[in-house]
Amino acid sequence: MSERESLCAIKVGGSLLKDGKSYLEAAKNIKKFVDEGLLPIVVVSAAKGVTDALLEVTRGAAEKLGKVFDLYMGIATELGSQKVYKRVLEELELLKRITNSVIEGYDPVLQDLILSFGERISKVLMVEALEAMGVRALELNARELIITNDVHGDATIDYVTTANHLEKLVNSIISTAAVPVIEGFIGATEDGRVTTLGRGGSDYTATTIAALLRLNDVYLVTEVDGIMTADPSVIPTARIVKVMSYREAMEAALHGAKRINPKAFEPLEKFYGSVVHIGSWKLFGTKIVQAIPKEHRGPKVMMHRSLHEMPYIAIIGEGVSDTSFIKKVIDILYEQGVEIMGLQTYYYRPSIIMHVKKGSEVSTLKLLHKKVFEEVD
Amino acid sequence: MKNVNIAVIGFGNIGRAFVRVLALKRKLLAKKYGVNINVVAVVDSKGMVIKPSGLDDYEMLKLCEVPKSGIYMFGSYAKQGVNVEEVYSKAAPNIHVELTPANYVSGEPGFTNIMLALKSGAHVVTANKAPLVLHYEDIMAEARVRKLAVKFRATVMGGTPFLEVLASMKSHDIEKVEGILNATTNYILTEMHDNLLDFEQALKKAQALGIAETDPTLDIEGFDAAAKLTIISYVIGKPININSIYRESVTKITLKDVLDAVKQGQVIKYIASLDAQKMVASVKIERIPRENVFAQINGTLNGVKIKSDATELFFIGRGGGRMETAHTVLDDVLEVALRWFT
Repeated sequence: MSERESLCAIKVGGSLLKDGKSYLEAAKNIKKFVDEGLLPIVVVSAAKGVTDALLEVTRGAAEKLGKVFDLYMGIATELGSQKVYKRVLEELELLKRITNSVIEGYDPVLQDLILSFGERISKVLMVEALEAMGVRALELNARELIITNDVHGDATIDYVTTANHLEKLVNSIISTAAVPVIEGFIGATEDGRVTTLGRGGSDYTATTIAALLRLNDVYLVTEVDGIMTADPSVIPTARIVKVMSYREAMEAALHGAKRINPKAFEPLEKFYGSVVHIGSWKLFGTKIVQAIPKEHRGPKVMMHRSLHEMPYIAIIGEGVSDTSFIKKVIDILYEQGVEIMGLQTYYYRPSIIMHVKKGSEVSTLKLLHKKVFEEVD
Repeated sequence: MKNVNIAVIGFGNIGRAFVRVLALKRKLLAKKYGVNINVVAVVDSKGMVIKPSGLDDYEMLKLCEVPKSGIYMFGSYAKQGVNVEEVYSKAAPNIHVELTPANYVSGEPGFTNIMLALKSGAHVVTANKAPLVLHYEDIMAEARVRKLAVKFRATVMGGTPFLEVLASMKSHDIEKVEGILNATTNYILTEMHDNLLDFEQALKKAQALGIAETDPTLDIEGFDAAAKLTIISYVIGKPININSIYRESVTKITLKDVLDAVKQGQVIKYIASLDAQKMVASVKIERIPRENVFAQINGTLNGVKIKSDATELFFIGRGGGRMETAHTVLDDVLEVALRWFT
């Protein structure tokens, strides 16, 4: 394996980061990659609940800052070193000064700046946790590397400039042999103003780094083992989807699938088709690839949406818009006497949408899940 | 490959940016220019790291992660307390990089550090203006005697090679240098015009964004711009004392002034000006027509006009962004290294 090939990207989601122990747990798992000869570029989210609290701070609830203070100082204390304690305190004091100077009224520039501290501090903590586990680690600065347009709150990455920055850095990363840790979710405009990348922005950071550096693998770590065939709180028999295509994942995201951020696939489609692994430290159950082999065509995920007057069920997968699959679904519904109110499918989209009567969406979903995923194979 | 050893004195925003940029670029620079820049000492206000064999890239990058004034926490080469003489006795750097904060009353600690460096035989690169503003002649005399270089490109329009160009215009009679030399006040004025903030609000926003210091006195009272004019005056060989420069405080500007100016098709700018014929200099609040070049220089940009008996030149660029300034300091270091050590 060449040095360049040993690089991969790992995004650690905020749901996993809640206390000192969980940072150390994440560090221990990252160390496993290092022990296998890989050099992961680690993308961190803010600790659990921090971004929401900071959002409230920007909307005037200054008292929520206390929550962020307590959480991060608590974690710094748990991790132990005087250095990290002082660093975190310094960042928090700066954050406090900034929030105190927030002028009445909404200022998107300051809002993004305030939000960015969630990830900034999380990064300092992650580097410390890695070092505590005996892993050489370094801070990278998203504000210097990830360059975006100036749409505050939902910025888009400028791939050309960012690629230049990353490319210049990559040799240093390899030669120091230290695990670099960078903030997800944040970037900066070319003239240095901090921006944020919108919901799920850390995934977007990770896939951008992977695509621009042409990395083979990017791991998105959360608290579940992968993407499920359906919401397990509705369908307890839902299973993990092993392989999906980018197209399927984006279509699922469009219909509200959790843990998939459609923006995250843009750099992968445009620049390099890294394999996206979704799962937990225990198991990366789902692989999302640019194109799936023929034998993996077919339904992957189904979900219901009840927002509208006429709720719908969506089945997603390459090939579900083929006539044979449509017939199969119709047959299932016909045999069980389910009336549908509308059906929508296009040959160029990997989905089939069925509108059903209000109140019957869950039972129909259960029926379809059973017949399509549980009885076939 | 020639090794050049440097000591970095002062480790705030610019110091960190400089060490970081050097860590990331020095392998490439070594390949390109055949000189290897080694950091043998880094000093902040409370401690020092001294490693005569030179810090490696990883150590340099890790050093940038210590808390403010926290160098003493940096492992085995670190110690508490500052003693620049010890840096020279233990590590004998070839180039001294002075990045301490400016103090326009005493010029310290920069002045003592720079004189110590010169007396110990080290070339000097400084981004700290105060020692030059208060003791330019002493410093240059010492450097001349010892045949050493003193470079200070980062002190005026730090993100550009402005001073280098000005110094190279040797056949010209420089008549006037004027423009926007302070990024912080220009940012504040831009906010006042664009977002109709009053001065206090605009200052607070600048502080929140890290553009203005917690204590903004040097910028908003015009000391910083006056110091730059003083350095410019030395560079063109027509020295002016900083205390003789007329200064207006930018705090006087109200939102009403801004609105009045805008109504008349003008904008308010904080203009630093050195008239080398009349030998007068000032830092003043001026109303200028909206179509004037300086009216287009907004945010943290700086802009300067050089007028000589032969030509008129404009310079536009970032004043003091940390990355830009770090590169300018590194350019000075490289120039000394290439000129004297290869």
